[in-house]
Amino acid sequence: MHIVRAKNPVAQLSNILLSHGFYIVMVFVLIFFSISTPHFFSASNFSNLLHHSAPMMILAAGFAMVVMSGKLDISIGSIAYLSTGVGITLLMKHDYPPAVSLAVVLLLGALFGLINGVIIVYFKVNPLITTMGTMFIYRGLGLLLTQSLTTSIAGNLRRLGNSSIGPLYADFILALVFLVLMQVVLRYTSYGRDLVAVGNGEEVAKRLGVNVKRVNLTTFALSGLFASMGGVLIVLQVGSHNSHIGLGLEFTGMAMTILGGVSLFGGEGSLVPGFMIGAWTLNIIENGLNHMGASPYAYPFVRGGIIFVAMFADSMKHKASLISKIIVKDA
Amino acid sequence: MNKHIKSLLVLALVVAVLLPTAFAQGQTAKKDKITIGLSWNEKIHSLIQAWQDYMQAYAKEYGEKYGIEIEWVINVAGGDPTQQASNIEDLINQGVDVIVARAHDAAAIGASITAAHQAGIPFITFDRESSAVKPDAHVGADSYTQAVTTAEAFAELLKENGVQGKCIELQGDLRDMNAVNRSKGWHDVEEALGAWETVVQIPTEWDPGKFLSGTANALEAHPDANCMFVASDFAFEGVLTALENAGKLHPAGEEGHIWIAAQDVNPQGYEAMLNGYIDVATTYDAYFHAVELVHMAVRLAEGDPVGAPKILVPGRVATPATLPDMEFIWARDYKD
Repeated sequence: MHIVRAKNPVAQLSNILLSHGFYIVMVFVLIFFSISTPHFFSASNFSNLLHHSAPMMILAAGFAMVVMSGKLDISIGSIAYLSTGVGITLLMKHDYPPAVSLAVVLLLGALFGLINGVIIVYFKVNPLITTMGTMFIYRGLGLLLTQSLTTSIAGNLRRLGNSSIGPLYADFILALVFLVLMQVVLRYTSYGRDLVAVGNGEEVAKRLGVNVKRVNLTTFALSGLFASMGGVLIVLQVGSHNSHIGLGLEFTGMAMTILGGVSLFGGEGSLVPGFMIGAWTLNIIENGLNHMGASPYAYPFVRGGIIFVAMFADSMKHKASLISKIIVKDA
Repeated sequence: MNKHIKSLLVLALVVAVLLPTAFAQGQTAKKDKITIGLSWNEKIHSLIQAWQDYMQAYAKEYGEKYGIEIEWVINVAGGDPTQQASNIEDLINQGVDVIVARAHDAAAIGASITAAHQAGIPFITFDRESSAVKPDAHVGADSYTQAVTTAEAFAELLKENGVQGKCIELQGDLRDMNAVNRSKGWHDVEEALGAWETVVQIPTEWDPGKFLSGTANALEAHPDANCMFVASDFAFEGVLTALENAGKLHPAGEEGHIWIAAQDVNPQGYEAMLNGYIDVATTYDAYFHAVELVHMAVRLAEGDPVGAPKILVPGRVATPATLPDMEFIWARDYKD
């Protein structure tokens, strides 16, 4: 998307940087770590990297969609924890079949997301306040249910979570297909178009005939559903369900979303390539720092610095977009 | 004469004021009933349940032996320092005899310690120290010594097997002093004995996902690594998975075994040690923490001048050979 139709080369360069900055950041970190560490640029490392990014590619996709609609959902980590907590209890303590446990996890995820949506839509509570409240409630319920115990899953399930198809891990392929499908939904269905319209302004969307309530309810339900799906992948990968699952993932999801060029102001962004690139970029940084043997104290600084730059770029882009609207209006 | 009378009167006054105070300070009035207020910062780990159960069980045993009824008032702050301050205020208002708190925030707990002191209630910090105000006592683990004893036993093990180590270090959350102390203990022994070289330090932030991805990345970056130091084994499944994915999961005695020193002997580490994947670890002795805590709480509740001690339990070195016969291993009692 080009923000300002300027003929000035400096303005054109600025447009390119603001619109495609997330590609540039990813390419830059890839080149940097490939040059500075001997084993980073290898097929097996990329395979590992994509494997470890798969759960968050799904878990935070709903968060990215909520952001596109101009809102926030910081309960995703707690939804992942509580829904998988119920699933693991059914599976390991009550011997329910894996398929039934999985179905319950996904249904609960969608239900928890829908509850967020209902509070926001019908009780007109600010999304940040709502999801902050439910973030604590869902985690509290999860702790109560699991008694904060760690539950290991069966070896065959752990192997399933770490199985590969050719050179790629199965969960990455699943996450990739999922994101592409969701991008198709966003791009080519009325729900996707309505979501972007709501993100650009609910009042205008209403005047255009968009059922804003339905869009918001659907988006929060999907955010909960995707959080639970991602939670399942985490449990399968790590091999256990424990009380740290989902802790702080709302911030990881936010970082991925911003790095992927999804505007925090709403109404702009994509899951593929945008959010997906953001998810990879964050994992590349973590992976690269591991390879470099960087000081453990450098991690938050580097992560924070890159996220700050991405947020700054988003803010600049938004400002430029507003200016362009004013210019067009005046013309 | 007048002067003498005045002097005698002043002396009598001073004695009258100081004598009861001196008696009170030396007094350790034995109580029949003691109420201990316990403030947990959170309860997201089975270790906390283990601590609580051990404390209550040992207090019952101790109370029956010495004729004291020990009651508990327990609250949990849900990982919120403000909530913990409010919970401790509740304990003060309920008039408990002594307060025990596992601080969520080492600095914020200072205000609660001051409030308890103002109400005349002694305060014990448990597991996590206060960085702001000195409590009447601290009971916890000696995380530095824990790492040192593990590292020394590990150095001996590598020496016995003729291995020069190239180790991956999985660190904890560096905002947690226990994690910092463990890393320091490990590196101090490395420097002193030279039995290994730490080739990479991976900060896990206590995130199980990072135990997995960090191990995988480190193995990729250092294919010649032959040993690991894991700052806590509570998320050891991630390490096992990463080793398995890299084709390097072999128990002790098999070719290609990655030598592993860990900390705590949590339920996940307990199983891994019994299966031969962890070679040495030092226990995080929840039972002995609980015993020391009860002793200290009773002494403080009875007005015993303890002198603000730090009771630090160093833990015991465990290996696959010794673990099955070791007593008071909480991971065995709280096996998931």
